[in-house]
Amino acid sequence: MKAVTGESSELKSSKLKPWVNRGLSIFDFILRLAAIVGALGSAIAMGTTTQTLPFATQFIQFRAEYNDLPMFTFFVVACAIVSGYLVLSLPLSIFHILRSRARATRVVLVFLDAGMMALLTSGASAAAAIVYLAHKGNGKTNWLAICQQFNSFCERTSGSLIGSFVAIVLLMIMIFLSGAALSRRR
Amino acid sequence: MKNSGDSTVIDVPPTAGSSSKKKAVVSTAAPQQASGGVKRGLSIFDFVIRLGALGAALGAAAAMGTSDETLPFFTQFFQFEASYDDLPTFQFFLIAMGIVAGYLALSLPFSIVCIVRPGAVGLRLLLLILDTVVLTLATSAAAAAAAIVYLAHDGNSSTNWLAICDQFEDFCQNISGAVIGAFIAALLMMFLILLSAFAIRNTH
Repeated sequence: MKAVTGESSELKSSKLKPWVNRGLSIFDFILRLAAIVGALGSAIAMGTTTQTLPFATQFIQFRAEYNDLPMFTFFVVACAIVSGYLVLSLPLSIFHILRSRARATRVVLVFLDAGMMALLTSGASAAAAIVYLAHKGNGKTNWLAICQQFNSFCERTSGSLIGSFVAIVLLMIMIFLSGAALSRRR
Repeated sequence: MKNSGDSTVIDVPPTAGSSSKKKAVVSTAAPQQASGGVKRGLSIFDFVIRLGALGAALGAAAAMGTSDETLPFFTQFFQFEASYDDLPTFQFFLIAMGIVAGYLALSLPFSIVCIVRPGAVGLRLLLLILDTVVLTLATSAAAAAAAIVYLAHDGNSSTNWLAICDQFEDFCQNISGAVIGAFIAALLMMFLILLSAFAIRNTH
């Protein structure tokens, strides 16, 4: 009698396992969509950032654009690459929902997710360092704060960083999920 | 079957079936040993890469922490000196790389446990998660410092931020080396994540 009940509980758990993996895969898919929104939103917000001051001299007009600073250009490119990757990874995520026992593709996804997370982190951090400098300046190096003049430009660039950092956190959670799915017994 | 009084003797001749069963047992045992060897190999490789990343992170932190240059000329009121703590980004870099190096040092015993017990899945999953978090920290610090190093080298005419590396050459070389070390550590940590994923996949 005991042996029979043990067997039935084992059967239940084996039936449950694919559903847990499928649940993880669905959650991964949702996170991927959210990360696309975050990364793409950041790229668009930074890419469309521009401010022209209302006064000008005879020869020059005071204008700030994202491509005045190479770090902001790198940020836009990094966000665009990560967005593109996340869009291309959606079919693979759907494949994991349909075939929850697939493992080789999950390992590939973990590695690529880690790479893209590193790329996005470097883009966001480089931009954040410059935004900090634009806000505060640095007296020791005579790098003056430019945010007193270009206020809306600075607000926009600061705002665009938020989406990218959200995308970084989501990518991190995706790696955890893939690891958890891999560690579950077949 | 021979029946002699009370005792019953059963003769079981060695058949072809039994020998094939023995063969089957041997053939299934061999791949298990091989997979165990692969797991142990991955764990040893993980340990070696962890040591390499620790060296790179520690080197980066040391290079940044000791970067200091005083120019040979000075005025009546002040001396021209450059140090890592003049810029908050470099302070963040030093703290972050210190944390990364500390984590990598503390994770070495866990890596050794993975060599001794290649089937420990929970431990590998924990390492995968922590490696991911620390990779983010390392990349973040390296990239932020790299942005400032770039500015120090080239300056920016649009914002009137002048290059300081024309004056403080040694200082700039030191901080550039530190950033390179940090990126090497980040790259090695990416490989650690890949190895952990492979090891988890091979465990089942």
